Amino acid sequence: MSVLTRDTVGRAGGRSAPGGAAPHRRRGWWTTRRRDQLAGLLFVAPQLAGSVLFVLIPLGLVFWYSLHEWNMLAGTFEFVGAGNYQAMADDPNLPSVLRVTALFSIGLVVFNLSLALLLAVLLNQRLRGTVVFRTLFFSPVVVSLVAWTIVWGFLLQDNGGVNGALGTVGMDGPNWLRGDWTALLSVIVVQVVKNVGLNMVLFLAALQGVPAELYEAARVEGANAWTRFRRITVPLISPTILLTSIITVVGSLQVFAQIAVLTQGGPGTSTTVLVYYLYQRAFQFHQFGYGATLSVLLFLIVLVLTVVQWRMRRKWVFHEQ
Amino acid sequence: MRNRLTAVVALTAMLGLTACGGDSAESDGPVTLRMTTWSANEAHLKLFNEIAAEYTAANPDVAGITFDPIPFESYTTTLTTQIAGGNPPDLAWVLENSAPDFVTSGALVPLDDTLKGTEGYGFDELAPAATKLWQTDGKLYAYPFSTSPFGVFVNTDLVKASGAQSPAELIAAGQWTWQNALTTAKAVQAETGKAGLVVRDFDYKGWDFLSTVWTGWGAQAWSEDGRTCGFNSAEMVEAMTALHRGIFVDKALPGPGTTADFFAGDAGMTITQISRASLLEGQKFGWDLVPLPAGPKGEYAVIGQGGMGVLKQGRNAEAAADFLAYLTNPANSAKLAQFFPPPRTSLLTADTLAKTSPLLSPEQLQQVVIDGIAEGVVKPSHTGQAELNQAVRAALDPLWRPDADVRGVLDGVCTAINPLLAK
Amino acid sequence: MNSRLSVRARVALYGVLCLLALPFVFPTWWMVTSSVKPVGDIFAFPPSLIPTEASLSAYRRVFELQPFAQQYLNSGYIAAVVTVGTLAVSSLAGYAFARIRFRGQQVLFVVVLVGLLIPSEVTIVPLFRMFNSWGMVDSHWPLILVPILGAPSVLATFIMRQFFITLPAELEEAARVDGLGRFATFWRIALPLARPALGAVAIFTFLHSWNLYLEPIVFLSTPEKFTLPQALTQFVDAYGGPMWDVQLSAASMTAIPILVIFVIAQRQFIEGLAHTGLKG
Repeated sequence: MSVLTRDTVGRAGGRSAPGGAAPHRRRGWWTTRRRDQLAGLLFVAPQLAGSVLFVLIPLGLVFWYSLHEWNMLAGTFEFVGAGNYQAMADDPNLPSVLRVTALFSIGLVVFNLSLALLLAVLLNQRLRGTVVFRTLFFSPVVVSLVAWTIVWGFLLQDNGGVNGALGTVGMDGPNWLRGDWTALLSVIVVQVVKNVGLNMVLFLAALQGVPAELYEAARVEGANAWTRFRRITVPLISPTILLTSIITVVGSLQVFAQIAVLTQGGPGTSTTVLVYYLYQRAFQFHQFGYGATLSVLLFLIVLVLTVVQWRMRRKWVFHEQ
Repeated sequence: MRNRLTAVVALTAMLGLTACGGDSAESDGPVTLRMTTWSANEAHLKLFNEIAAEYTAANPDVAGITFDPIPFESYTTTLTTQIAGGNPPDLAWVLENSAPDFVTSGALVPLDDTLKGTEGYGFDELAPAATKLWQTDGKLYAYPFSTSPFGVFVNTDLVKASGAQSPAELIAAGQWTWQNALTTAKAVQAETGKAGLVVRDFDYKGWDFLSTVWTGWGAQAWSEDGRTCGFNSAEMVEAMTALHRGIFVDKALPGPGTTADFFAGDAGMTITQISRASLLEGQKFGWDLVPLPAGPKGEYAVIGQGGMGVLKQGRNAEAAADFLAYLTNPANSAKLAQFFPPPRTSLLTADTLAKTSPLLSPEQLQQVVIDGIAEGVVKPSHTGQAELNQAVRAALDPLWRPDADVRGVLDGVCTAINPLLAK
Repeated sequence: MNSRLSVRARVALYGVLCLLALPFVFPTWWMVTSSVKPVGDIFAFPPSLIPTEASLSAYRRVFELQPFAQQYLNSGYIAAVVTVGTLAVSSLAGYAFARIRFRGQQVLFVVVLVGLLIPSEVTIVPLFRMFNSWGMVDSHWPLILVPILGAPSVLATFIMRQFFITLPAELEEAARVDGLGRFATFWRIALPLARPALGAVAIFTFLHSWNLYLEPIVFLSTPEKFTLPQALTQFVDAYGGPMWDVQLSAASMTAIPILVIFVIAQRQFIEGLAHTGLKG
């Protein structure tokens, strides 16, 4: 149980690796330890080479670009030192962008995780047809993102399908993509519906690993459903909650195509999140140096959030041992 | 470990170096040219390929010419990524709203010498109104292959069903004004439930398309020299007030977040470039094309343009310029004219255009196309257009609410863009 | 898990599930039905659930306007190659990070994990320059190499590592005592046991490659080399106005086969995901 609690980075091998378990293999210099050293490096070599080539070097270059003023169109590339970072500190748009980003990410993560958990709990009941529903809830995951977003663009129009459906039950829906709050909400919902199936399945798997006896025991002691959920289910699946929340938080800061298709950052700047803003500055306004500076900021934010979540796991992730 | 680090540093340094200089290796032997376009339209590409085949047959130094269609939405972005990435196309279509950026940045090669030096090219017959946007310091940096005036397409079936006066009748009576146009649009909406008048491609984001409206009031987005904001001028406030009333009180124009495609029969009238007439082929409803209605300042015309330029960072700039001269010579211009209204005065006659645009009548061609190009105002454009575009769009968004304070919003637009105009 | 539910609870549960399923199902339904409607009916208000007159002409247009069959093939083969490649790279790396003890493991794992944190918009320009200097622009190489080796495969490695950690080590230890080398132990013992995780990674990877949007647009410029999401953006009239019926037909064709495969394979599919060793 509790994979994520039982190991930490790098200690993994220590628990289970049969490193010293094959002493008869030791022949002088060519020890098992040396063999393992080589095997380990060879095994991770392709991934490592790829990471260096396609992740670290590009990242280093982005940092290098961020020290320059680079107009892609004119082909000018001048060293400006910390100039772009100074510009970032003075950028009047940035506070609003960061606020929108925070709202968007928090909304998305909370909504995604709670809906995923709700669906997983509902589908974990002993009920005929859960297979059908589980398929339905998962199906948007396999639909092409661009197609999915374009279709929702239609449905969210003032005279589109969503308001048509609301109309049949006598509700007058707002102009979703044109209101400050509703536009942000719409992008969140479209994104959650598209992807919640993944988290749902992970939760479902975790729920099925919770022993039924625990519930029975709690029931005997008179705990109601909510208490059972809070005291048994949540702690036992907390490692999964941690994992899904890390993936979802990271993902929420990378949502781009949906915003480009649905709102283009508007109305006003109400859906201009950081990744969209950096895209605008770099690719639309041809200010790639400044765009690179924003990339560095985005990277740092994601890094800090991930580290914080990873650290926090000690506090609230349930330890069986 | 140290070796690996050294390798990484070396690789980074190498890549860092290539970041500055483009690849300028001149290759010997036949070259292949590449042109980026935003049209994936099969008929367009067929014509381009035909012309290219004729050219390569006559010019053995050019082995082939490819046309790369890039999605319209991401056109300029993808183009600049290719340029920045060191893989610029040899020739590129340039959108009019990025014209000032491309023309002044030094990204393009001046064309005058090549074009003037090409026999029978007829450089002098290019209409000055058409080339103005593409020039700086007296040099032409891109050829305006498409100079397309805006007109009003009318779904005559819907207008008839509404019982309102049709634009044709209004024109005959000399009363084709914005006020009457909006009245007709309002009637279409009220009687048929379809949209009245659609400013195509505006969709409450592409605000520069509204210049087809406010020019009738004598308003401008910014002054000729691009330094003074025009959004809070009295003319602009008046024009926007009329538009706002048309949208939110009279419902003559579909509100924000509502799709209505004229060419699918969903709207009574639409303002768009006349080159869209080709979309009407095989249409089931009756239609008409008329000039823009007169505003308080009288009659006016607005044109939209597309340019074709040779990229300085491309590998074969010389060959590319030569091909451009061939592609846009009088004979080929005449062929292109079936899709893109040409900037050549010799081709701008109702007779010539009628051969290539069989859907339009000679009167329509004369009224909308020829007169339009002669008198037209080009849609607003400015250096740093993308940033301006975004700033105006964001500042203009509060206008698209029923209770908007028009004057206040427009003042806000000027506050937002003044620092950008001053750059 | 509740052992039995009353009839009333059951009905309520079905009701809630049906209601919740609406936003998940309706868009796909609308996309498919609209693709056979006449253009004028697509935006009819209120939207009709079932087309009154169906026509497949838009589907024919898809193939006339673009080399769509070729593009389909491109997407399919790229996704297949990426999937196989990612499985190889990530299972090897995941296994080593989980099971083999070697110096630098901790640092290297963190180095690899950085890839998980970077949106592709951030690195697209440097990547473009790299591939351009290798002469690989307008080829499928960037779409194959970057996902297999770069940031996208990091999640796969992470999942594989988590899975291998949960496997009981005894079998492998026994194999090692019998004299099996590291690779043989991995190949003959660990990998067969990892089938559920491999299934999940395969699905993730395939979908990711199949849906890739930004990279193809930036890297590819010849229609014959396009992938499907990119092809979807090409169904426009001469002025960038979308041809809705054709776009929706093409979109349906990209989604339906995957949906059908999913329905058929959904048990393995979901159970594959469920057994990735990510559970509590």
